[in-house]
Amino acid sequence: MEIAAAVASGAVAQNARTYHRVTDLRARGEPFTWVLGGALCLGIVMIVGFLLLVLWNGFLTFVPRPVAVVTTTAGKVSAGEVARTDTFRPAPDALAKLAPDAQEKIKKAEGFAGRTLYRIGNFDLYSEDFRWIDDNEIKSTEYPKNIVYVERQEWGPFIGTVKAITLDGKPAEGTDFSAPAVASAYSEALARGKRVREIERDEIGNVNHEVERARLAVRKAELKSGRDSQAYKDAAAHFEQLSVDSRGEYERLTAEVQRLRSINDKFTVTFAEIGGREKTVPMVNIVRAYMPNDLSFAQKVGVYFSRWGEFLISEPREANTEGGVFPAIFGTLAMTLLMVIAVAPFGVMTALYLREYAKQGRLVAFVRISVNNLAGVPSIVYGVFGLGFFAYVIGGSIDQLFYPERLPNPTFGTGGLLWASLTLALLTVPVVIVATEEALAAVPRSMREGSLACGASKWQTIRNIVMPRALPGVMTGIILAMARGAGEVAPLMLVGVVKLAPELPIDGHFPYVHLERSFMHLGFHIFDVGFQSRNSEAGKPMVFVTTVLLITLVAVMNAAAIIIRNRLKRRFVGSQF
Amino acid sequence: MHRSTFLKFAGAALATTLFASTAAVAIDVDAAIPSYQKASGVSGSIKSIGSDTLNNLMTLWAEGFSKEYPNVNIEIEGKGSGTAPPALIAGTSQFGPMSRPMKAGEMDDFERKYGYKPTPMRTAVDALAVFVHKDSPVKCLSLAQLDAIFSKTRKRGAKADAKTWGDVGVTGEMAAMPISMYGRNSASGTYGYFKEVAMEDGDYKDSVKEQPGSSAVVQSIASDKGAIGYSGVGYKTADVKTVPISAKEGGTCYDATSDNAYAGNYPITRFLYVYLNKNPKQALDPVRAEFIKFVLSKQGQQGVIKDGFFPVPAKVALDDRKAFGLN
Repeated sequence: MEIAAAVASGAVAQNARTYHRVTDLRARGEPFTWVLGGALCLGIVMIVGFLLLVLWNGFLTFVPRPVAVVTTTAGKVSAGEVARTDTFRPAPDALAKLAPDAQEKIKKAEGFAGRTLYRIGNFDLYSEDFRWIDDNEIKSTEYPKNIVYVERQEWGPFIGTVKAITLDGKPAEGTDFSAPAVASAYSEALARGKRVREIERDEIGNVNHEVERARLAVRKAELKSGRDSQAYKDAAAHFEQLSVDSRGEYERLTAEVQRLRSINDKFTVTFAEIGGREKTVPMVNIVRAYMPNDLSFAQKVGVYFSRWGEFLISEPREANTEGGVFPAIFGTLAMTLLMVIAVAPFGVMTALYLREYAKQGRLVAFVRISVNNLAGVPSIVYGVFGLGFFAYVIGGSIDQLFYPERLPNPTFGTGGLLWASLTLALLTVPVVIVATEEALAAVPRSMREGSLACGASKWQTIRNIVMPRALPGVMTGIILAMARGAGEVAPLMLVGVVKLAPELPIDGHFPYVHLERSFMHLGFHIFDVGFQSRNSEAGKPMVFVTTVLLITLVAVMNAAAIIIRNRLKRRFVGSQF
Repeated sequence: MHRSTFLKFAGAALATTLFASTAAVAIDVDAAIPSYQKASGVSGSIKSIGSDTLNNLMTLWAEGFSKEYPNVNIEIEGKGSGTAPPALIAGTSQFGPMSRPMKAGEMDDFERKYGYKPTPMRTAVDALAVFVHKDSPVKCLSLAQLDAIFSKTRKRGAKADAKTWGDVGVTGEMAAMPISMYGRNSASGTYGYFKEVAMEDGDYKDSVKEQPGSSAVVQSIASDKGAIGYSGVGYKTADVKTVPISAKEGGTCYDATSDNAYAGNYPITRFLYVYLNKNPKQALDPVRAEFIKFVLSKQGQQGVIKDGFFPVPAKVALDDRKAFGLN
């Protein structure tokens, strides 16, 4: 009875299931919903994970960390920030040398022991800036409050204690860095340092620039009308005169720089590293000094933001591993904007012709396929093309025609901002063409016909009816192009991006905008700091910070373009049929 | 040949003073190298194309130099020593940093165009270090063992190919571990120099993993316990260690320290060069002349230390200044 009931109910259930499977799963496409949804989830998880990793590392880099003073059982003392920890299997001979209790502990952990990497700084004294210390060799770890962490203009950080402060050649009382007399002397020293840079960069720079121009004018006159001509003699006389005139000015400025420097040399701080060796640093070379084990929360926040500030607005130091990335930010922005200026009209015009004017046939289809295929060409190929065609052929000819006096030093005949932008414009033009064509195709035929029926010409129709409605779509194309262009590095390495080019493409000398100059780029900076710098360990945090910055920059540029697009959309939404 | 010139320059007095010091003590610039004196009327631009090993060093010099002359526009590109001669010949660069001496063929190409040879400047001393993972038990390797590890031709006469760490005398649990080799790409001067000196111009094995930069070699070794690789000693990090090298099988092993490099004991020591296009009949233009003076000055050589390489002895610095007609 029972069994029969069970069988019966089972049969019913079976029937119900079969019924269910047929109508629900297959007919409603349930498995596909799951597969597609799963794929989306996987994508989101990967993107979010990647962003979190980059942001987490990037935003934590500038947090001031405590400095530990570690004494090993052998009596060696090191002071440093913890960089990271690691587990390893000690070699048998090293294991045998350890204390019995430490051996016991390692045995319990199945042969594994821990160790910690400390950033000990003081590269000028130690010839190393990171040190591994095995956990079982550590006798004691302390966090003394008087330890200072000093960021210097040269040689990287110094970790130690303040031994003495010298103000104007005389020893100051105490070693307190925040005493009013010391603080004001420090800001004065920085002001003098800034003045020195101003004189050297702007004032001496102007003198040098004038002399250089006069020298080039002489060379130009020589090339144009020969050494015997009046023009050459005039130019040469002018050059001579200018050289003599400028020497006086130059000497006056150099003397001023010398004076300021010698004053700054009298304001110094003497630090002692943890082993007692001393190092005297001029105040002007101290970027930042703080006591990492004695910081209030507000002070920590202060150090954190002052580091971000330095990173965003100053120039790189120490072969790009320290200081800021301002030239790279500027270079990335300038290049991307120039690229947009080049790619937008070119791409839109091409698409307009293809969609509106050209007779749709085999030839146009072939052109369209070619454009689509261009998007699949590896970017380095564009780099090679840009170098060969833009820099060597076009740039070389420009140099021959307009800058013969500067040869053999190339002006436009080598990689530069202009050529890099044009190369990237070529790289991204298919994206704009395809997007614009789609947008044009989406404008209803009836609107075109209405316009034409009212007596408008073809161009009037395109300008007043088709283009305004296609603009949001065109903007989408430009946004995509911008995002692709800003993140591209490989072709740029061939056509103008360099490791160090602190001179911006814009300055106070005629013609003010120098598109021929090489430039720095955030993407290349990431590659350079991560894989080319001397100490890759010290460079790693900078890689994350720069990545965060590059992602932010691209996001901001895209957001700006999206806002513009939405405005355009709103403007035309009311006027649609 | 280059090593013998090297030995000649290692002053005996210098070597003995340096021997007295230990490796932990920071290296200092030879006191006989003069401090840099600023000159007037220097402006223009400098472009350097060449070695990746020297890339950071050139950048450090450029930073120091532009502190003295903020208006000199400096651009630096470093993709390998092999890119230096073509750029010098084409005139797209004024400085050609190279981590190996220029080959005869490259010299000839240059001479064909200009009628004279390029002039080298010896800027730093590098002990081309052989790195292994920091936990690796390797204590010492001979050049013949290195040859057996990296080369398929084994011109140094090793009898058998070294495939596992046990083949080069490592005992314990790592003996069965295969050796994983890292090296530089063929445009690199480091690649060329290692091939010439350690392998007597033999061929690299195909299994050597070629890396685009010296730092990339070190990073790869840092994450691979069975790894071995070579690059400039300046790129050492806390995650790798240098292997002492002996010139002969069973000979004394010397570590890649400044003392061993100066004394000529470390067998793969080299100069790092910067080549220039100097017309012997004309004086150098002020920018290049001042840059050379800067590099071969106390400040410039401190930059060498900062980048982890060793400064040149005073005699070398003064000789090279003379070669360019500078005092």
